[in-house]
Amino acid sequence: MKIDDLEKTTSEDLGVLPSVVRRNILKLGLVVTGMYLGGSILSLTSVRNVYGAGVVPEVGKYPYNPHYSMVIREKLCIDCEQCKEACVKTNHVPAYGFRTTILEKRRSLGGEKFETTFMPVLCNHCNRPPCVRVCPTTATWKDEKTGIVTMNPGRCIGCKTCMTACPYNARYFKEETRAVDKCDFCFESRLSKGQTTTACVEACPADVRVFGNLADPKSRVFKLVHAPETMIWVLRPETGAIPNIYYINS
Amino acid sequence: MKKMLLVLVLGAGLLSGALLFAASNAQEKTAYDEDAYGPKAPIVWVKPVRSVIFEHKIHTMDAGLDCGSCHDSLFEMENGAAEKKDDFTMATLYKGGYCGSCHDGSAAFASNTRCTSCHIGARGHARLNSQGGTAVKSH
Repeated sequence: MKIDDLEKTTSEDLGVLPSVVRRNILKLGLVVTGMYLGGSILSLTSVRNVYGAGVVPEVGKYPYNPHYSMVIREKLCIDCEQCKEACVKTNHVPAYGFRTTILEKRRSLGGEKFETTFMPVLCNHCNRPPCVRVCPTTATWKDEKTGIVTMNPGRCIGCKTCMTACPYNARYFKEETRAVDKCDFCFESRLSKGQTTTACVEACPADVRVFGNLADPKSRVFKLVHAPETMIWVLRPETGAIPNIYYINS
Repeated sequence: MKKMLLVLVLGAGLLSGALLFAASNAQEKTAYDEDAYGPKAPIVWVKPVRSVIFEHKIHTMDAGLDCGSCHDSLFEMENGAAEKKDDFTMATLYKGGYCGSCHDGSAAFASNTRCTSCHIGARGHARLNSQGGTAVKSH
């Protein structure tokens, strides 16, 4: 284009826009902003149905079968750590890492008295696992049949993003395999070989951990989480990961 | 008048003296006497499960039990004697053996409740050991 032609063209800068057009764009912007504000601040749009929005999925609405899950009867835990020892032995867990561990809470009973609660923790095999979402090499995935969050060490590049993403601190980097390692509900070491429980469940002397298929109404886990007058909770429900480790006190 | 004042002052002095004496006496009473109440250091059992604590102070000095309440019918007065026995389990406690003799729900809280009151676990044991360590260091 020659200079002469260029001089004949009209300017495209904002100064020449008619004010009607400007106002319309501004209005559109406000409408869009208002829609988002309305949705997130006032929750006028997509709010989750409050009724039946408990931590346990509704009967018959389990995404997997077997839908493996664990119920932890928390107040019975005495931190003898036999579950940890069994896990270490069964799954060759090194001393610097863990697939399952026990946390401790101390609650004041007034004065100098305290009540201790031990909280066993492990991978929650979430229905929406944040670790799977962030893995750049698909080295970890949710098994389509069992719902177990599985690792392929050969595919792991050790970026540790999954460790950061996990709300439950259930992953560690295993030096021996140069890959992240985690609980697989003993799938590789036991379930795939025909056994029906995990090593930690078998080792527990206080019957704290109960493992089973939540989709089976005859299983003990199903009965425990559907028992009347039972308080059931999960850890960190606010992350929206939909965990499969349930905690009860009865 | 002066005599009365003197008596008053003397009386006040005697009274406060008596009070102080009583207070010091009371303090002596709260001091732990190992001969009367048993060893001060807590007993920690690690068998059959880690780790269960027993404190003589809570049972003798605070709860008012005699040595004869447990020794030697329920527990021998020998370090680690109970741990060596095969029946030193929760099942025996539920049948009224060992701690279950009192911890039955009527004399004291039942053995199958308040697990962590006695079961301090591996963590509690480690903390106890580290506290003991720091206490020794600070002396």
